[in-house]
Amino acid sequence: MLKAQSLCKSVTSGERSLTILHELSLDVAAGESVAILGKSGSGKSTLLGLLAGLDTPTDGELTLFGKRLSRLDEDGRAALRAGRVGFVFQNFQLLPTLSALENVLLPLELSPRAGESRTAQDWLARVGLGERTSHLPKQLSGGEQQRVAIARAFVADPELVFADEPTGNLDPDTGAQVIDLLFSLNQEAGTTLILVTHDHALARRCNRCLRLESGRLVPFSPESLGEGA
Amino acid sequence: MSQHAHYHNARLAWRSLKRDLRAADVRALFVALVLAVAASTMIAFFLDRLERGLERQASQLLGGDVVLEQRDPFAPELRQELEEAGFTLSDQVDLVSMISRGERFQPASVKAVDDVYPHYGVSRVARGNGSEELASGPPRGEAWADPRLAQLIDLEIGDRIQVGQTELSVSGFIEREADQSAGFGSFNPRLMMHLDDLDATGLVQEGSRVEFEILAAGPPEALERVEPLLAELRQRGVEVRDIRQDRPQLGNALERAESYLGIAGLAAVLLAGVAVAMSTRRYVERHLDTAALLRCFGASQYQLVKIFALQLLGLALVAALIGALLGLVGQAALLALLVNFLPMTLPPPGVMPLFLGIFTALAVLVGFAGPTLLRIKRVSALKVLRRELDPMPPAAWLVVGVAALVFGGLLWLYSGSLALALALLVGGTVLLAVLWGLSTLLLNGVLLIVQSLSGRGEWSQALRLGGRQLARRRQAGLGQLLAFSVTFFAMAMMVLVRGDLLTAWEAQLPENTPNYFAINIQPDERDPFEAAVDPHVEEKSTLYPMVRGRITAINGVEPREAVSADARGDNSLRRELNLTWQAEVPEGNEVVAGEWFKTGTDAVREASDWMSAVDATPQASPVPISMEDGLANRLGLTLGDSLTFSIGNDAITTQITSLRSLNWDSFKPNFFVIFPPGVLESFAHSYITAFYLPDGAQGLTRELVQDFPGVTLLNVDAILGQVRDVLTQVTRAVELILVLVLLAGISVLYAALTASRPVRAHESGLLRVFGAGNRMISRIQGAEYALLGFASGLMGAALAEIATGVLYVTLLDLAPRLHLGLWVMLPLGGALLIGVIGHALSHSLRRQAPAASLGLLGEA
Repeated sequence: MLKAQSLCKSVTSGERSLTILHELSLDVAAGESVAILGKSGSGKSTLLGLLAGLDTPTDGELTLFGKRLSRLDEDGRAALRAGRVGFVFQNFQLLPTLSALENVLLPLELSPRAGESRTAQDWLARVGLGERTSHLPKQLSGGEQQRVAIARAFVADPELVFADEPTGNLDPDTGAQVIDLLFSLNQEAGTTLILVTHDHALARRCNRCLRLESGRLVPFSPESLGEGA
Repeated sequence: MSQHAHYHNARLAWRSLKRDLRAADVRALFVALVLAVAASTMIAFFLDRLERGLERQASQLLGGDVVLEQRDPFAPELRQELEEAGFTLSDQVDLVSMISRGERFQPASVKAVDDVYPHYGVSRVARGNGSEELASGPPRGEAWADPRLAQLIDLEIGDRIQVGQTELSVSGFIEREADQSAGFGSFNPRLMMHLDDLDATGLVQEGSRVEFEILAAGPPEALERVEPLLAELRQRGVEVRDIRQDRPQLGNALERAESYLGIAGLAAVLLAGVAVAMSTRRYVERHLDTAALLRCFGASQYQLVKIFALQLLGLALVAALIGALLGLVGQAALLALLVNFLPMTLPPPGVMPLFLGIFTALAVLVGFAGPTLLRIKRVSALKVLRRELDPMPPAAWLVVGVAALVFGGLLWLYSGSLALALALLVGGTVLLAVLWGLSTLLLNGVLLIVQSLSGRGEWSQALRLGGRQLARRRQAGLGQLLAFSVTFFAMAMMVLVRGDLLTAWEAQLPENTPNYFAINIQPDERDPFEAAVDPHVEEKSTLYPMVRGRITAINGVEPREAVSADARGDNSLRRELNLTWQAEVPEGNEVVAGEWFKTGTDAVREASDWMSAVDATPQASPVPISMEDGLANRLGLTLGDSLTFSIGNDAITTQITSLRSLNWDSFKPNFFVIFPPGVLESFAHSYITAFYLPDGAQGLTRELVQDFPGVTLLNVDAILGQVRDVLTQVTRAVELILVLVLLAGISVLYAALTASRPVRAHESGLLRVFGAGNRMISRIQGAEYALLGFASGLMGAALAEIATGVLYVTLLDLAPRLHLGLWVMLPLGGALLIGVIGHALSHSLRRQAPAASLGLLGEA
């Protein structure tokens, strides 16, 4: 499904070069759920960006769905994602001018297929918002917004879902509900899930946990630290 | 990409647009586009209808779409050819003959018409029951007379008059002929009769001076079909008049108004363009997050551009439709204002201006929004994770360059002159570069002054802080300064030009513009006539002597061979010209080439010598003459060319030594050719003058008619009134357009201020966090806007002064002048306007809690 080999990412600011990721390797099999933990500023989001093909590594090779990303340009990488990759963001990233239903429809409209409106409505119903399809994001609570975002992530029947701190902007109770929803949908759909978080409770629910330390991924057991971050 | 995908992109675009309509930038963009289209279509609709209406009027004045005139009857083959091309023909014969009733004789200009007459329009004739409008000529055996003829030989309805060898019964008095403007081309009063009675008069004989005319009416295609035939006829010396060549001139006032409307329309389009550019910038900034998200979901760059371009396109099309509708209503309003001037109902609005309007909207969108919109495709998908990753805005030169190019194209389209468009474009671009530099200096200067304010009062503090805020955002501030200056400039210019146009128009026809012409004043009547008139009139033109002469050779060659084929049928070569002599340049004339006669110079002395030795042959040297530049142009003549005139039984060879421009709308006697004194005096001549007689003094005209029976008095009050009406109405039309330009200007201000709203919100949020009160923030913002407005006003004044100067000299033909008030009004007005609008727009921001204002920045 996804294979990273010796990924490096460094940024230059002025004359100084800062290495964020160093010779990082990762192999994710189809249907697996992987949690990536790390402190603030450890490069979690940078890694997520690279894995999803939103950014390009300074060095190393990344293969997604059997395609080498280094051989694709920006549009090629976007086309690879279309309909096959879903996203859940910390700040929801719903379009403020579109209704809940229209937000869920968004990925379908970029890679159209038949009966999409029905599908989108079904997904909203599955996340418990079947009655609020016409509401704008600002008319929904944070938890509801994230549920819309989850419906949007799964609506196109993706093979892989990336989640970036999905509970980061939610209170613990709401966060727990959202996580339950995310994992149950993931299991139902048999989707591969790559989740970036510093929430150990969340990480524990994944098949595998990795911690980002000094630019490299090391296997990690969340149970060893108990609850919380 | 499949049809399906196209449909989905369009649907997505439409959905977002629907919700987006609430956003200030989208509204500003929409309003700007509506205004651009409304202004351009309104003017295009109006000018298009006016143009076509004038063509129809031309047909009416001319009596047909093509009129042929020659000294001999026309050959049947020619008639057949015209009929086959799709024309209906009407025959007419013109001649001058003595008309008598009893013992009273009077030469009259006789016009014999057939049953088809008139092709267009109606004649107004009084047949004893008040005036009637008749679409025919007099029936056989009857004649209609000019009221002047009736006065001269004491005619009543039913009287019988002698015309040549036959008698006709007078059945009507002609108040207006269907096919002739109320001019005074012919000094003899009109008598209209039926063509079938002409033979009986015996007036048409070998060698008599008779003009045969064919008046042909037909569709434009027919005119096109006979174009080669007409050219051939012209070369053969047949006088050919067609509606394209002989359409009535609009006159100075209307021509200027047309130019004004054109410029105003473009000013509105330019302003709307600036508003579009500013709103698009904000629009794109607001949608960068959306674009990044779409990119994340797999949208290609092409799809991104398509989705947002479709949105704006949809917006532009709706705006274009609304704008065109407003334009349609606007042109109806314009027409309503001008209704008295327009001689007939105009043809209905065409579709062409509608397309032009939609095209304008799209062009403005592409030109002013295009490069900015393309920024959206460069957005990185990574922005969903790192919000600060915004693509660089397009380079200023690219934005300005593309906008200038498109605007240049529109200029070309509207003006029809590539040279003008290019000149304006290059000039504009250079100006913009200079402006950028000047703006920088100006802004720095103003800020420097503000910073040095040492007062401790709240206002000086507000000014200092406001100035500092402005200085911090120098680039954005410069952009706004430029936009506001251009806006103030365009608004000020349209106001200035309007004012100066009106002043010029008022000056053109002052209160005491001559309303009477007196012609045929004999030399011995000259002094008594002046003595009789002078005490009663306030304003009188010089008495000009008038000698009739015909051009018989140009540079020694037969005139028709000396001029270009097109000029062969020119009236000046076929008819006698009114010649005069003057020692000084007549009032209202201006020598544009060569030199006016110097009394006492060799040429004049020699000319006088020639006169004194009139019996001696041949003439020693050519007589210097001054020619009207329009006629010289038509005949292709220039300084140094020689013309031979036949006057009486003599031939005089002359040489053009000066060209004059003159104002034919001046209601004063004007002459194509002026001789120096000392040449024409011995020929038979009469005098002509024009004077102003106030309403109450009409009794004088009766005295004059009695005391000087040979003198013809022509009252031009009606024509004068009509011209005055035109001016008033055109003025109103100009004002209507001005309102549109001002609205476009305000849309720019609105767009610019809403574009900078989030940044200001952020700043006021910060100030609030640091403890500034509402009052303080309000003052700081007010001061910042006011400073911006002041600097923009100063710059706008400079621009307007330069531009109006150039415009007056090149296009509007007015004398440039300095507008001092502008330099005070515009900076102060600018400070007030921007201060108030900006302050009002920020009102809601100041009421926000700091957290909200701080969050506003960068929010989608």
